[in-house]
Amino acid sequence: MRSVLFLGTASGAGKTTLAALYCRYLRKKGVDVVPYKTSNLSLNSYVTEDGKEIGMGQAFQAWASGIEPTGDMNPVLLKPSGNGRMQIVVRGEPFIDIVRGQEYDREKIKELGYGSFDRLVSEHETVVCEGSGSPVELNLMDTDLANVGLMRARKVPSVLVADIERGGVFAAVYGTWKLLPDDVRGLLKGFIINRFRGDASLLDSGIARIEELTGLKCIGIIPYETLKFPEEDSMSSKKGSIGDGNLHEEFVKNLDRLLELAEEGGVDFSKIEKIVDSSA
Amino acid sequence: MKNIVKVVRDEIAAGNVGCKTDCPYNPCHFSGQNCTFCYCPYYPCNDERLGKFVEGRRGQKIWSCEDCLLIHRDFFVEHTVSKIKELGLEAGDPRFLTEVFPEAVEKFWHRGKAVMVVGATSDAGKSITVAAIGRILKRMGYLCAPFKSQNMSLNSRVTSDGAEIAMVQVLQAQAMGLKNADAHMNPILLKPMGNTRSQVVVEGKPFADYEVGGYYDEFVPGPGKEIVKRNVDFLLNHYDYVIMEGAGSPAEINIYDKDIANMRAAEIADADVILVVNVEWGGAFAYAVGTVELMPEEDRRRIKGIILNNVRGDVNLMRPGADRMEEILGIPVIGIIPHLDVRLPSEDSEMFRGRSSVGNGPVHVAVVKLPRIANFTDLDPLYSDDTTVVFAESPEDILDADAIVIPGTKNTIGDLQWMKDVGIYDALRQMKGKVPIVGICGGYQMMGKLLSDPQGIENGIPGDYEGLGFFDNTSTWSSYTKRVVRDRAVIIDGGGEVEGYEIHMGMSDVKETPLFRMTSFGREKETEGSVRKDEMLYGTYLHGVFDRPAFRDLFFSLVSRKDRGTAPEMSVEDYNDVVDRNLDLLADGFEKGLDMDAFKKIFGVKE
Repeated sequence: MRSVLFLGTASGAGKTTLAALYCRYLRKKGVDVVPYKTSNLSLNSYVTEDGKEIGMGQAFQAWASGIEPTGDMNPVLLKPSGNGRMQIVVRGEPFIDIVRGQEYDREKIKELGYGSFDRLVSEHETVVCEGSGSPVELNLMDTDLANVGLMRARKVPSVLVADIERGGVFAAVYGTWKLLPDDVRGLLKGFIINRFRGDASLLDSGIARIEELTGLKCIGIIPYETLKFPEEDSMSSKKGSIGDGNLHEEFVKNLDRLLELAEEGGVDFSKIEKIVDSSA
Repeated sequence: MKNIVKVVRDEIAAGNVGCKTDCPYNPCHFSGQNCTFCYCPYYPCNDERLGKFVEGRRGQKIWSCEDCLLIHRDFFVEHTVSKIKELGLEAGDPRFLTEVFPEAVEKFWHRGKAVMVVGATSDAGKSITVAAIGRILKRMGYLCAPFKSQNMSLNSRVTSDGAEIAMVQVLQAQAMGLKNADAHMNPILLKPMGNTRSQVVVEGKPFADYEVGGYYDEFVPGPGKEIVKRNVDFLLNHYDYVIMEGAGSPAEINIYDKDIANMRAAEIADADVILVVNVEWGGAFAYAVGTVELMPEEDRRRIKGIILNNVRGDVNLMRPGADRMEEILGIPVIGIIPHLDVRLPSEDSEMFRGRSSVGNGPVHVAVVKLPRIANFTDLDPLYSDDTTVVFAESPEDILDADAIVIPGTKNTIGDLQWMKDVGIYDALRQMKGKVPIVGICGGYQMMGKLLSDPQGIENGIPGDYEGLGFFDNTSTWSSYTKRVVRDRAVIIDGGGEVEGYEIHMGMSDVKETPLFRMTSFGREKETEGSVRKDEMLYGTYLHGVFDRPAFRDLFFSLVSRKDRGTAPEMSVEDYNDVVDRNLDLLADGFEKGLDMDAFKKIFGVKE
C-alpha cells in the first residue's frame, strides 16, 4: 500500500494544487498514480465519463495523473442546497438528502468511502490523497472522514501544506501538529510552505526551530505564483474527458510550469517519495 | 496670565456647565467632554504627566496644557467645583496649586492600562476589534486611545497638527470618541515604495527610506524601541485605556526579537494581550494554539483571552471546540464573533484583491486601478446602491463609464507610464468632455500638461513627462519635501463645504480656474484645485473630497445616465456619520459575541 495524504493548515492553503503537483511529478516519472479525497463539501462538481459526480479538484488531479476521473477518487461529496438541506453523493451517486440535524448512516458512508481508497490502492501504484479544510477543527474532528479519519483508518502518512501569504505560518504548522490526536500525530512527517514571496533565507531560523520542536521535515518552499488555473465554475457544467477540451490541458500545462518553478526553488519531491515509502 | 485669571473668574461664576455642545469647537478633545474649564484654574500646574513645556516665540519656556484631558473629565470638574465652594476660592488663588491640585491629582490621576490586540494572521480582524473594544469602553464612559507602534500602509491621514499617521488609527480614535487622532497613536508608519523598500514616517514626519534588512537591523534596535516607548507612555499618561494593535502574526519566530509591532511593544507598555483569530478560512484552533505556544513563557502569560472572529453560520457550533482549546491552553475564549456586515473604511486593499467592481447600481463609476494606488479610502463614499464602482484596468472599462475618478498614488510618474502602456491614457483623453472626470492628488497631477521630475525624486528616473493635458498645469518635484496639511474649503462655484487633507511630494503650478477656496483659519486667501466646468474636469489635492456631501453631489449631478435608468440618489449623509453609525453596529456585534464578564475582568472594569 503506497499512499500519502496532503493536509492543509486552512481552507485554501493549497492542498488541491500541491496534491496535483505531486501527482504530476510522479506521472512524469512514469508512476501509476491516482488522486483521492474521501470527502468534499462543494457545489463544484464534475461528472465523469461513466456519469459519476465527484469534486472538481479530484478531476484536475486525475488529469495531472494522466488518467480519467472516476467515482472512487472522491467517494463522498456533500452538496449543500440551502435552508439546511444537503445532498450526500456517495461514489458518484446520490445516497441520501438530509436536513440539518437529521441522522443518517455515517458508518455505511465511511465504509464505502474508505472502500474506495482500498480499491484505488489495489489498482494503482501510489494513491495521492487530499485532506479537507484544517485537520484539527476541534469542534469537527470526531466526525472527520478526510483528515484524521483517514489517517486513523488506513495509517496514511501525511504532509502539511501551510500558506504563508497571510502570515502566522509557523504557528499554523506547530498548532496543527500539536492538536493532532496522539495516535495519528506520528503519521505527519513533513510540511511545505506555500505562496512565499521574497528572500526564502529569511525563513531559515524559523523552519529550523519548527523542525526541532516537532520532528517534522520541511519539504520545501513553493514560490508565490499567479499561474492561472481554470476556474472551477467554468468547468463545473461540462462533461469531458482528456483531450476533448483545452481547459484541463491548460491546467496541466500550468502545473508543469509550477513544477519547474518549485524544483528550481529547491523543493525536493523525493522527500515526499520517502514518506510514501513509509506507508508500504 | 492675567487673561487666564479673568476667564477662570467667569468660569467659576458659571459653575459646572458640563458639555457645551453649542460651542463651535465642541468637542475639542473628546465627545461628552466637560467644558466648564476651557481655561484651567490650575494653570500652570507644571505636571509633566498632564502637559509639557514648549518653546515660546522668544525662546522662552512656556507651559502648554493642550494635551491635558483630566480637566475635561466630569469627576475632576465636580471635585474642583466643590473645592472652590468649600474653600471659597477665587480665580488666581494660590491655594489652587498648593492645596487643591496636588490632592486632586493624587486622587484622580491614574496611569492608564494597556491592552493589546494581536492577530494570528494578517486580516484576523485586529483593527476592527480595537475599534469595537474602544467604542464599547467609550460607551461605558472610559477614555481610550488607540496605538499601533508600527503600521505598514499606503492609507494615511493627516492629523490636525499636520502629522501623517495610518488611516486605521484615525478610525479607531473616532470609535473611541476622540476629536483628534495624533501621531502618538501610530508613531511609526511604513509606506512601501516598492517590494522591499519603505518610507519610514516617524511621529508623523518623514524620517528616512529603508530596505527591509536595514529597517530590522538598524532602525529597530536603534531609534525604534525608544520611539515606541515614549509614545505609548504619553498615551498611558492621558487615557484610561490604551488599546494597542499588533501587526501580522506575533509568532513569526524568524524575526521574533526584532518585531517591535507585537509582543515587544506589549512588554514596553506592560500590556495584557487578546489574541484574535479569523475563523473564516479554517484552522483557527491550530493558528491560536500555535501562536500561543511558540511564544516564550514570559510573553505567553500576557495573553488573557482569545477571540474567534468572523464566524459565518451558527456561532454555537464553535463552542465545543472553544471549550477544548481552553482546556489545552488554559486561556479563556472570551468571544465568538459572527461575521458582521459593517461599512467601514478598509485598511487593506481587500477591495482591489481579485475584485473588479463593487456594487450593482445603474451609475458606472470607473476608478483607474493604478498599480500604486494610495488613500483608496477616498473612494469609500462612492459605494452605494446607485453605483457600480468599476476598478478600471483596461481602456474598455474607461470608455464604458458614466463618471471617472483618477485616484492618488505613491508613484505618480510610474503610474502615469502604466496608464500609457495599457491604453487607459488614450481612453481618458477620448472621454474628456463626455463624462465628469475628477483627479485626486496624483490623479490631479496626471491631468496637467506636464510632470517634471528633474532629479528623479518620484520614480528614480529624472525627466519630463507629458500629462493628460486636461489642465494647463505643471507639477514639479524639485526637492525631497512632502506637503502634509489638513484643509477645510468651500466650492467656489456654487458653494458647499469640503474637508480633507493633502499628502504629496511634488507641487503644481496652477493655471486654471480654482475649484475650492480655503476656509481653514489663516488661509482664507488660498485657493485649491482646478476646474473646467464646460468639460466636466475637476482636479484637487484634497483626499477625502467625497466625504462631505457637497462635492459628491456636484460630481454626480453631472452624470448623464445613458440608458441605465434614473438619476443617482446619492446619500446626502456625511460619510463621517455613516462611519460613526457603523462603529456602533460593530460594537453592538462584539458586545453580543463577547463574554462581557470575562471582558470586564481583563480590562478591570467595575460596574
